[in-house]
Amino acid sequence: MTSPLLRIDRVTRRFGGLVAVHEVSLDVSPGEIVGLVGPNGAGKTTLFRCVVGALRPTAGAVIFDGRRIDGRSQHALVRLGVCHTHQIPAPFADLSVRDNVRVGASFGRMASTARATVSSVLAQTGLDQLAETPARNLSIGSLKLLEVGRALATGPRLLCLDEVGGGLTPVELERMLTLVREIRDAGVTVLYIEHNMRAIRAICDRVVVLDFGEKIAEGTPDEVANDQRVIEAYLGEPAAR
Amino acid sequence: MRLRQPSVWAPIALVVVLAMFPAAFPDELNYLGLGFLTFIFVTLAVAWNMVGGYAGQVSFGYAAFFGTAAYVTAILWSRYEWEPVLTLPLAGLAAVAVSLIVGLPCFRLLGPYFSIATIGVGEAARVLALNLDQLTGGASGLNLPLSVPSKPWFYWSGLALAVVAVSVSAWMRASRVGLGLFALRMDQDAAESVGVNSTVYKNIAHSSSAFLVGIAAGLYVVYFSYGHPNQVFGFDLSIGMVLMGVIGGVGTLWGPVLGAAIYYPIRQLLLSQSNLVAFNLLVYGGLLIAIILFEPGGLLGLIRRVARR
Repeated sequence: MTSPLLRIDRVTRRFGGLVAVHEVSLDVSPGEIVGLVGPNGAGKTTLFRCVVGALRPTAGAVIFDGRRIDGRSQHALVRLGVCHTHQIPAPFADLSVRDNVRVGASFGRMASTARATVSSVLAQTGLDQLAETPARNLSIGSLKLLEVGRALATGPRLLCLDEVGGGLTPVELERMLTLVREIRDAGVTVLYIEHNMRAIRAICDRVVVLDFGEKIAEGTPDEVANDQRVIEAYLGEPAAR
Repeated sequence: MRLRQPSVWAPIALVVVLAMFPAAFPDELNYLGLGFLTFIFVTLAVAWNMVGGYAGQVSFGYAAFFGTAAYVTAILWSRYEWEPVLTLPLAGLAAVAVSLIVGLPCFRLLGPYFSIATIGVGEAARVLALNLDQLTGGASGLNLPLSVPSKPWFYWSGLALAVVAVSVSAWMRASRVGLGLFALRMDQDAAESVGVNSTVYKNIAHSSSAFLVGIAAGLYVVYFSYGHPNQVFGFDLSIGMVLMGVIGGVGTLWGPVLGAAIYYPIRQLLLSQSNLVAFNLLVYGGLLIAIILFEPGGLLGLIRRVARR
């Protein structure tokens, strides 16, 4: 096995007395799509935010490409090649779709080739038809694509996606999953939080399941779906006999 | 919002016409003076708009830059007998220094908290200047040499400075800096998440804008041959910069120019008529309420809306 691109090493995050994430470790190899799943409140988003620089872990380390990155600011991580999308789309509402993507291209790792990056990202996401539309006028499906496109324009090596499949129609979801696969095939490693099990099973190489802030299972989507602890976490314990 | 290149010919024609005024009417000294001061206020409004408009950080503390720079020019000129014009770059740099001292802590605050902090900064600077009377002349002000350049000289200098300010502002809008500022104004977290170092870009806008304000302040104090803390550090100066932006259209290129061209002459008219002085604040208050209620985009927003019909 090659050395991991991302190593999460016994990361703990507390909010006052609440332990949202407890000593979770996890490796992501280059070129993988790793899914991060779990019931509501399991700590997925907290762990995700510790990776992308939005939160500082209380304990433990996040190592990207051999360098410790926990506690670094988000804009510094973008420069290293770690970029993420927002669960609730956060577009620059008054800017056009093109200018939104241009922000990512101009301030990421691809700044020297920003112009070419913008057109290739617009084409790849299928947003080129909407390029001049102000972001505030987009539908939820297009906003989710814009989230991915804007992050992709920064030239990430590790792209962290937060529920980019949420709220999409089946057709839109299919298109999004195809896009994520294409991004991976172009050499980008993907860490993917998702509620939608169908999406997870369709594209993830490996899945990590969190429950109450702890890692309870890890494996291929099929292995995890048949794991007794995972089934209990989602459906509750079997009724007492 | 579309970020497109504005047309350049109409502004160039306007500048040429304005530049010919002193040659055509060399004896209209009152109008030349009014023109100079209007250009100074155009510069202030355009500079303020880089931070208050483009970056969306509404500052009420610009008098701190203006006053510091004005006193740098005043002191170098009167005590050390520098040529006034040679003091201007230093006045600008002094304003930049103050803008960094103010910006580094205050930009950690967001939205209204930033605005409130800048009010404190502006007032603190004024009180400090009033009490440092060895340096500033305190409450009696500082009388400066009376040998000043001619009115047309001031008029042309003011015009040139305003042209520089608008050019810098236009360049900023079209550049990567402007893109970063627009992004962080609309959503600072999202901007950070795609690589915009918001602290750095806010400070770039703040110090560029302070440099222009500093040069304007230097010219201003030379023009009056007099400096007083309540004048050059006055809160009404800070408020005026906000008002000019709001009247014309915050965040646009030409809005602050329009705002200043309306604000300053009206202000002079009101202040020069003894029976109108009392209405000074009433007029601005009314104007502000009307704009916020009916056209938050300012006069430029109104013009665009009418033009679209």
